[in-house]
Amino acid sequence: MRLTVDGRPIEIDAEPDMPLLWALRDLAGITGPKFGCGIAACGACTVLVDGQPVRACVMPVGAVEGAVTTIEGLAEGDALHPVQQAWLDEQVAQCGYCQAGQIMSAVALLAEIADPSDEEIDAAMGGNLCRCGTYPRIRAAIRRAARDGAGA
Amino acid sequence: MSRAGTITRRTLLVAAVAVAGGVAFGYYAYRKPYPNPLEAGLEAGEAAFNPYVTIGSDDTVTIIVPRAEMGQGVETTLAALVAEELDVALERVRIEHGPASPAYANIAMLKEGVPFPQFDESWLAELARDGIAVFGKFLGLQATGGSSSTVDAFVKMRRAGAAARETLKAAAGKTLNVAASSLQTADGRVTDPATGRSVSYGEVAQAAARLDPPAEPALKPREAWRLLGTALPRTDMRAKVTGAPIYGVDVALPDMLHATVRMNPHLGAPMRGMDAQAAEAMPGVVKVVPIAHRLGHGFAVVARSTWHAFRGADAVEADWAPATYPADDDGLWAAIEAAADESGFSLRDDGDVDVAFADAPRERLVEAEYRAPWLAHACMEPMNATARLADGRLEVWAPNQVPTLVQKLCAEAVGLPAEACTVHTTYLGGGFGRRLETDYAVYAALVAAETDGRPVKVTWTREEDTTHDAYRPAAYGRLRARLGDDGLPAAIDMKIASPSIMASMVPRIFPGVPLAGPDRSLVDGTFNQPYAVPDYRVEGVPVPLDLPVGYWRSVGYSYNAFFHECFLDEIAAAGGHDPVALRRRLMQPWPTAVNVVDTLAAMSGWQTPPGDGRARGIAFSACFGSWSGAVVEVAEGERGVRIERVWLAADVGTALDPRNIEAQLVSGAVFGLSAATGQEITFAEGRVAQSNFHDYDAMRIHQCPRFEVAVLETAPEMGGVGEIGTPPAIAALVNAVSALTGERLRRLPLSHAVTFA
Amino acid sequence: MLALAAAAALPALAPLAAQDDGAAAPEPALAVDLERGLPAWRAIVAVLAHPRCANCHVEDNRPRWSGPSYGATRAHAFNVRRGADESGFGNPGLRCMTCHFETNSAKPHGPPGAPSWHLAPAEMAWFGKSSAEICAQIKDPERNGGRSLAEIAVHVRDDALVGWGWQPGPGREPAPGSAEATFAAIERWSAAGAPCPEPD
Repeated sequence: MRLTVDGRPIEIDAEPDMPLLWALRDLAGITGPKFGCGIAACGACTVLVDGQPVRACVMPVGAVEGAVTTIEGLAEGDALHPVQQAWLDEQVAQCGYCQAGQIMSAVALLAEIADPSDEEIDAAMGGNLCRCGTYPRIRAAIRRAARDGAGA
Repeated sequence: MSRAGTITRRTLLVAAVAVAGGVAFGYYAYRKPYPNPLEAGLEAGEAAFNPYVTIGSDDTVTIIVPRAEMGQGVETTLAALVAEELDVALERVRIEHGPASPAYANIAMLKEGVPFPQFDESWLAELARDGIAVFGKFLGLQATGGSSSTVDAFVKMRRAGAAARETLKAAAGKTLNVAASSLQTADGRVTDPATGRSVSYGEVAQAAARLDPPAEPALKPREAWRLLGTALPRTDMRAKVTGAPIYGVDVALPDMLHATVRMNPHLGAPMRGMDAQAAEAMPGVVKVVPIAHRLGHGFAVVARSTWHAFRGADAVEADWAPATYPADDDGLWAAIEAAADESGFSLRDDGDVDVAFADAPRERLVEAEYRAPWLAHACMEPMNATARLADGRLEVWAPNQVPTLVQKLCAEAVGLPAEACTVHTTYLGGGFGRRLETDYAVYAALVAAETDGRPVKVTWTREEDTTHDAYRPAAYGRLRARLGDDGLPAAIDMKIASPSIMASMVPRIFPGVPLAGPDRSLVDGTFNQPYAVPDYRVEGVPVPLDLPVGYWRSVGYSYNAFFHECFLDEIAAAGGHDPVALRRRLMQPWPTAVNVVDTLAAMSGWQTPPGDGRARGIAFSACFGSWSGAVVEVAEGERGVRIERVWLAADVGTALDPRNIEAQLVSGAVFGLSAATGQEITFAEGRVAQSNFHDYDAMRIHQCPRFEVAVLETAPEMGGVGEIGTPPAIAALVNAVSALTGERLRRLPLSHAVTFA
Repeated sequence: MLALAAAAALPALAPLAAQDDGAAAPEPALAVDLERGLPAWRAIVAVLAHPRCANCHVEDNRPRWSGPSYGATRAHAFNVRRGADESGFGNPGLRCMTCHFETNSAKPHGPPGAPSWHLAPAEMAWFGKSSAEICAQIKDPERNGGRSLAEIAVHVRDDALVGWGWQPGPGREPAPGSAEATFAAIERWSAAGAPCPEPD
């Protein structure tokens, strides 16, 4: 089976009903997207397929049509994506385990709404659970990324 | 009753543990340091100065931070302690967790366990703290918990940096042919200010490491700090925003297999048998391995991917023996409430409580019962570990809070001595006390014994994680107070019944070791609070239930602050006092506590009523060496109650990284508010009823209030920060919602009584 | 990105857009046969008001969760909403199809799936509505997507998302009967003059 992940073609030996997450993590060695719940209830596995956020832990790899973008594909070389840079500047992460998913959801949000309100942030990010309670800094980082033109 | 009179009943649990651990001790042996665990693994050109610092001839400075980085920012703060004294830039050093070693024992964590309030400076309390430090040294327990890492490291890691600096200066003095005392250090170089000549640390490292370090090198005064006391960029942040492979679940080794475990959901009970035929025939499944260990009984499925293992495990039919504890909540709560009729241990018994209540008129009595549920930790990263057993050596990669215990238990499980086991501690995707347990690592070691030398990563499903925790114990409080004519409490009598965590945990780690003395954590947050009341008794009753319970962020304070601070609000209401005024009044002997309450009152505008459909609550807790309080404001909304604003104030004595402390206070509060609003583990048919985030969720971003935080530094001693936001946030929320609804709420989670938006 | 979202919405809206205005005209008057019609309606409303259908036919922008492990019926967690654009496909950053794909998750409590997972428009609300209210809505072209009863019957029989109600995945109670049986019930009800029950 062929996939395009973070701009690179990859070839994997996966049954079509294998969740995209495990194809990425265990077959392709792309461990940026995290396993948290397996039922799309925490958002740690979030990746983009054709620019839209999906929970890779439940999406069958056989259903993937289009390019996959993971947290590992956001930066260009040493230059962080503006959303990652905002996360760094606001010092968001604590344990950090959910942050790959948080960042991917924020990237998807900002791609559609360049300057989201608090309400719009809440509506986009409610599926991403953080047990460390970094939400106030996530909000601040999304606002900062918006100011820095992440959605442009 | 005098304190000395009760000392025999306060025999310290850890004492029994240390003796049974097979160590003979004396003062000489106590003073003798453990060997430096870094000596074994040095690279070419690298020199080890002490267990915390190595410097390579290429100028690479490596700092060992031997504590679990589980989100609390300990890696950054502890590395800064060394870097501060060593005069190197934090962003230029390499930071490693380092090996499992008793050289990294956490003494402060054990000191916090002595049965005295943190503000008790009596000779007896100090004697106990010194005594526990000796035991701790021999126990060699390398652990991250009890909000103790920074307190424990504050002097010793600065000394490690300073000692290395002084020997570098001594070696440079010989090279430059000047007196070491005239040299200066900055940014990884030693300079002679007279001539401007300098050498880099790397150039003199080998020579310096051979010198005897000064026993007690001078530490910089606070005014000279460059790093400490400032908001430092976290050293782990870039890895965490780029998806780097830093967690236990990300471990990847050549030829690695993947696996998962399913253990008996009737916790602790055996597996009578299993039918694994269908699973073993499934594509991708390598084998099914039974597991029988005192920590759990069940099986592992080894496969080519984690998903194949999960699928295979679903296909195994296991015959689970029933558990020994009561099968459902009714039975468990009956056992807890029955225990409250028994007598227990007392760590506070001031005045004569029985006399005070003997003639109390009804209208001066306040009585209440409080209940807090079992809770799971629900770390974002499910339990996991990777292990390889080959050529008589066991290697374990595990996100864990107790490397030396992981080493001991994993080695034992596969019949090896501890020295034959190497533990690699990864970053933790959340800990909260769950990873003070070792089950995930032991199971990985046992599975690795069945894979012919191939490494195997064992990842639990979320369902397995939720249903096989060491739970925050349920707790029951039976509380009464007698008011004086002034409406102030003249007598308080509290009885707390809950399963003892020590009684549950010690047999998991040290089977057969006799337990002695009370488990202080059962009454933490009640007996040791800074309130002056003439007759004051707190009794703790351990409930004998054979159900695994463990340390959950803030431990006993997580339920006792709720009991104590909400009951205090009931006392205030009955006596006609404002909750802030009552607390200030009772706290008068402890100005640090009064200051926290005053700060909160000012920040939250306590004197200004919050308006229609809104209410505020306050709570305070002296915990983990700090003084912590919260005010919570809630509002009635169309879809339910909303937590709108939270003010936190904590006096931590010395704030090494104020921005990180703010993050920790908010984090602890969110953790507590998550639990108080809706979390609850219940039991049915001998197993946990909840399984995943659909029925055991936590606060989400749209439910998260606005926070304002004050970090205070007036207390004489440095306190911890990782857990102190949790206890007062829970209690302040309950006080706020009770004020909003006009009905006193005495049971958690609050979702039993109100709907949250 | 907006274009993408709109494109995603298209397949689901296509049947509505394809409606010929003439098709939305009132049904020809028929003799109303209550004895045959009302039992047929009861069979229909047992499906429409069933949680598998009604949980996503809501008035207030929030889909519902129900079932043994959820306690009382509750709003879908995670702040999931209809979508600020009223599309029924969720909000930027958190679309229905972020989690709900074309097939059911095999895991208990995993997200169910069917093509084009989304909320019905608010005017088609069934959740919390009486049988009489649902009946009136179904017959009202202003509130049923401009469909004739015959077209509704075919929609119920053939639409993949509707059909999910009878194949809801592990751990969920399916809607009663079947797509075919519900199609037949609508035909019978329609033939009997599509009587509605008296309001409660």
